[in-house]
Order: sequence, then C-alpha cells, then structure tokens
Amino acid sequence: MPQVSMIPAPCRVLEALPQNAHDVRFVVEAPPLPAAAFAPEPGQFVMASLPGIGEAPFCVSALPGEGTAPGTFELLIRRTGRLTNLLTRLRPGETMYVRGPYGRRVDWERFEGASLIVMAGGLGLAPLRAFVRRALLRRDAFRRIDVMVGARSPDELLFKDELAAWKARRDDVHVRLIVDAAREGWGGRIGVITTLLDNFEGEVDGSHAFLCGPPVMYRHCLKRLLALGLYEGHLWLTLERRMRCGIGLCGNCQVSGHYLCQEGPLFSYRELRQLREAV
Amino acid sequence: MRRQKAMDQEVYRFPRSRLGALIERLARDYRVVGPVRRGAEHAWADVGPGAELALDYPTTMLPPRQFFAPPRELLFRFRRGADGRYTCHEPEAERPVALLGVHGCDLTGLRVLRSFHESSCRDRVVTGRLDRAFILGLACWAPCTAEAFCRDMASLESEAPAALYAWDLGDVLLVKVLTARGREVLQDVTALEAATSDEQVALRHRLRVRHEAFPSHLRFPPDRLAVALEAAADDLLWEATADRCLSCGRCNLVCPTCTCFDVGDEGTLDGAAAVRFRRWTGCQVPGFSKVAGGRDFRPTRAQQLRYRVVRKGKYMPERYGMVGCTGCGRCIAHCPTHISIREIFRQVGGGGGAGAAA
Ligand SMILES: Cc1cc2nc3c(=O)[nH]c(=O)nc-3n(C[C@H](O)[C@H](O)[C@H](O)COP(=O)(O)OP(=O)(O)OC[C@H]3O[C@@H](n4cnc5c(N)ncnc54)[C@H](O)[C@@H]3O)c2cc1C
Ligand code: SF4
Ligand code: SF4
Repeated sequence: MPQVSMIPAPCRVLEALPQNAHDVRFVVEAPPLPAAAFAPEPGQFVMASLPGIGEAPFCVSALPGEGTAPGTFELLIRRTGRLTNLLTRLRPGETMYVRGPYGRRVDWERFEGASLIVMAGGLGLAPLRAFVRRALLRRDAFRRIDVMVGARSPDELLFKDELAAWKARRDDVHVRLIVDAAREGWGGRIGVITTLLDNFEGEVDGSHAFLCGPPVMYRHCLKRLLALGLYEGHLWLTLERRMRCGIGLCGNCQVSGHYLCQEGPLFSYRELRQLREAV
Repeated sequence: MRRQKAMDQEVYRFPRSRLGALIERLARDYRVVGPVRRGAEHAWADVGPGAELALDYPTTMLPPRQFFAPPRELLFRFRRGADGRYTCHEPEAERPVALLGVHGCDLTGLRVLRSFHESSCRDRVVTGRLDRAFILGLACWAPCTAEAFCRDMASLESEAPAALYAWDLGDVLLVKVLTARGREVLQDVTALEAATSDEQVALRHRLRVRHEAFPSHLRFPPDRLAVALEAAADDLLWEATADRCLSCGRCNLVCPTCTCFDVGDEGTLDGAAAVRFRRWTGCQVPGFSKVAGGRDFRPTRAQQLRYRVVRKGKYMPERYGMVGCTGCGRCIAHCPTHISIREIFRQVGGGGGAGAAA
C-alpha cells in the first residue's frame, strides 16, 4: 500500500489565458517530481492550492505531451469562490501548488476500435478535452468521433480556437456546438445539448459516450443515449463531489461508501446505477 | 469458551497500589492518558499528579480516536523562501501515547480506525500513532450507560489492540499479557505473580454475573446488519426518525469510528507563513454533501441520517472488514433529540429472534 502525503509541489504558471469573464485556461509546469510520477490519464484530477488560502480539485484539461509541451499540463479554472478567485488571477511566472494526479485511471484499450461520442456542457469540456485530444492523437485506433458542446452563450464557449481546429479536421471529428441563448451574429444552433442527439447520424452500436456537465444535463443526455441504444457500460460520466484530500481519506466525496476521488470521478452508468444518491 | 481462554494465557496479579508505578514507568516513553473525572463527567486526559486515573469511569463523550486523529491537526506549514516560493514542513511526530483503561467498545473502535486507515490508502500519520501506542484494556462489569449496546455489537469482550488487558477485582487487578511490549512493561512494575486460585474463582464468577448484566437489545448478530439495512433502504423509518434530527453533527463527532475531515488553511497577513490543517467534520453536518454551485447530493435529513447508519452497518464492513458501530452508545447519549442508532438497527433487523427474516 502506498504511503500518502498531502504535500503539494510548487508549479510555475507558464500561460494564463482568459476564456471569458470567469474562466481561465492555465498552462502549468508539471510538478518537479520524478517525471514518471506525474503522468495523468484523461479523467484524472489534481489538487491545486495557494498557501494560506486553500485547496480544491481540478480536472487535468490537457495531459503532458498530448498537444502540450512535455513537462507541462493544463487546467481550466472557473472563478466561483475564494480560492478560485485568487487562482484565476495568477500571472505567468507565478506559482500554484499542485499534487496528484488522483482518481481512476481508465484503461484506454477498452475504447479502441469503438466510435466515441463526447458530450460536454459548460465547464464539462475542461476534462473531456483531454479525452478528445487523446483520441485525436491516436486517431486510427477509433472509428467515428462525435463531439457535442453546449454552453449558455457563445461567450461562454471554452477553448474556441481548439474547437475551430477540431472542426477543420472535418471527417476526423464531427464537432457540433449549441448555446442556450445568443445575440445576433451567432450562426450556430440554439437550444439544449440533448437536441444535438435528434437525428443523430453517428454510430451507436458498440460506441462509448463520455458526458460531463451540469447535473441537469446528465439525466436528459443519459435518457436520450440509452433510448438510442447505447450500452450502459459504455456511458461514461464524471461526477462532482466535494473533495478535501483526493486520496480516499477525508470522506467528503463518498457515495454509498465508495470514495469517488479514488474510484472515480469517472464512472460508467452501469457502475453508477448500483450506487444510491449518485446521479 | 472465551471466559476459560482468559485463564489459559499469561494472567498476572497487579496490586492496585502499583498503578502509580505503572504510570511512572509509562511516562518515561509515552504521554500517559486515561479517564479523568471532570465535574460530573469523565474525559480522556493526561494523568499524573492532580489528574487521577479514574478506572471506574463510564463511557467518555469523546472517544480515544482524538489521540490518533485529533479534532484539529496540523498537516504541514508553508514557509516562504527568498525566491518567493513556499516549501512545506510536516510537524515532527509527537510523543507516542499510552492509553490506560480502554473499554471493549473503544478497543474495537481503534481496530475499526486501523482497518479504515489501512484500506485503500495508508494514512501513515494515523496508523503510525496506532503502531506506537501502548494500550491497557479494561473489562467492564456492567453497561456504562443506558445507551450502550456493546454486547450486541460483539465489542464487549474485545481485547486487541491492547498490550495488556485488565479485570478489576478491587484491591487487585488481573492483567493478561497480549504483546511482548506489554510483558516488558508489566515486568518493570510487578513481579509477574500468577493469580491465586481464589482470584481465578472470583474472576470466573464476575464474568458469569457480567453476562447477565448486559441486556441483549438486538437479538441478531451484527453481521446481519448489512442485509437488513439494504432491505430497509426505502423504509419510511428514515423520514420518521430524521424529522427529529437537528443536523447538529454531534453524532459524528462523538463516534469512535467516524473519520471524515475538512481541510483548511490559515496564513499570516504578510503571507510569509501559512498552515494547512485538517479538522473533524461529518456526514450529518449541513453542507457536507454540497458541491460548487450549491447543489446537494444528499439534500434531505432522511438521506443524511440513512447515510450515517448504513455506512456503519453495511458500507464499512463491506469495505474494511469490520462493522462500523461498536455499540458504545455515544451518539445516542449525546443526541439532543435522542435519535438512537440502536433503535434503528433493532427496527430494520426485525424485532424477532436471531435468524428472523429482514
Ligand atoms: C473532481 C473535480 C474536478 C473539478 N474540476 C474542475 C475544473 O476542471 N475546473 C474548475 O473550475 N472547477 C473544477 N471543479 C470544481 C472546483 O473544485 C470548485 O469550483 C472549487 O472547489 C471552488 O473553490 P472556491 O474556494 O473557489 O469556492 P468556494 O468558496 O469553496 O465555493 C464556491 C461555490 O461552491 C459552493 N460551495 C462550496 N462549499 C460550500 C458549502 N460548504 N456549502 C454550500 N455551498 C458551498 C458555493 O455555492 C459557492 O458559490 C472540480 C471539482 C471536482 C470535485
Ligand atoms: S446528534 Fe442527533 S440531532 Fe444531531 S445530527 Fe446527529 S442525529 Fe441529528
Ligand atoms: S454509531 Fe453511535 S453507538 Fe455506534 S460506535 Fe458510533 S457513536 Fe458508538
């Protein structure tokens, strides 16, 4: 059994790129650990902190060496409270304190040869971006890739440049965007993300779907995907719970006795169905 | 069976008058704590001059887990270096603790604490403290409180993880050696005299009487709880009981097997130094199951209450191999509205005899 520590490593912020009024994309130097020790997988998270202020979990939004320079990774941080207020003010050259990665490491071989359906609502694109990047990096290993992204307004869309770059890959990845509401000038679709599943042209049989977004989205998307015929064990969701330690001790993230920080936060719907009060 | 076994192992006489010598001996290597009278109550505290060890104590409000996972604990200090970056410094390990007079329920609680901290990941701080501790267990002759149900939860006769285990016969205690360390310490303060046959008879007699003194409340073994609780998951009982709950969280704080904590920071205004600490919290504390944005995943009191009870009776045995309730009765005694986990167990288990269907 590994011994654990909650001591973070100082990590230099290399770039701080505001996405809108409250979201900042950070390129961060990986913790100066033995390099192999910081090798996050899609769906994993780190604990990021500021001394004297506090610590919180954030999904790894881009993995070291996967569309990023080796030894760097990315976080997308939304300003919602005391800690994130100060984190989102960090400038390049300043330091955040990071430990991890934590969470379940999903075996990617299980997805190989399948089609992938990615559905991200709002901040949900932050973790799912790492999945899409991984899939595009090994494009030949998958069949069709569908990426559906929903946001409250066009301004709220995250990673706009990257979404455009994915779109430009045409048949490599089918990107569709939708916003709840928009002012004039938005040429795209308006509505909730589930409407992107109307007349779904992608492949359902044997495909894996990845969902991340606000809780209301889960229920509706799950219903639609199940109705389309997706297998429960191929529906992957990222859950959010308060996490104070990230290492299976503090108990805040428990669902039916399971510690999400270790066994999740990524779960298949088949796994979740067994857990009371999960979704 | 068990009662006889007590005599098979090394059991020695320990004159009560040697308790002072034992405390002195332990104080060389340990911080010595035991039950100490505090007004009308007893609490775990340092024993020594002016704070007398009170071995005839009833269950304390706070369990011994306070010495292994303290209510508030420094995780590490941040110190800012010349380059503006902070380095982290963990506190030095404190003196190991010697606990004198731990009852069966709390001995069990310490084993549960270990089973949890050794499970999915090792909390070397907590397990380290447990490893280094010296524990003198103490047999109970009668239920400590009206709320206790240790016999039902099979913790009454627990002896591990004690190094020495004592039966108090008045002027003399009979002490069983359970570890090499226990023997070493005992040898330093007594001549390791075997119990006289009179004393052995007296002990057997008291053990027989004791068995009658502890009523059986549940009439089914604790390993049936998991199934019973699962079957009762949607029972109205949860709502009916939770209507009285104030969400004050006391039941979590007094429980020997609760382990949840919160993490917080404090810093000096100039930012030169800061600390990160953890402190107890619990699943009955409002906001425990909230996430950013204000959503709560167990919003109702009934869900929260059920969570606490099901965790103790089902999730913990399934995951850590030990039932999470020792029957100490603390959460019942200290609940302002007297919500009783014993009563909940009894109801979900069905009032009938052992083996009755859930
Ligand atoms: C696995 C995981 C991954 C995450 N990934 C990301 C990510 O990639 N990007 C990102 O921006 N965020 C992410 N989050 C969310 C992020 O951790 C929180 O936004 C962060 O903890 C907020 O901290 P804060 O101190 O700024 O806000 P706080 O001051 O703690 O509060 C922020 C908001 O949370 C709510 N809240 C918090 N605590 C309580 C409480 N006790 N009672 C009531 N309401 C409360 C409040 O509504 C408040 O508005 C993730 C969370 C998890 C669990
Ligand atoms: S001590 Fe009683 S009132 Fe307080 S949270 Fe626990 S069950 Fe509810
Ligand atoms: S649940 Fe109540 S009776 Fe059981 S160990 Fe905890 S405090 Fe004691």
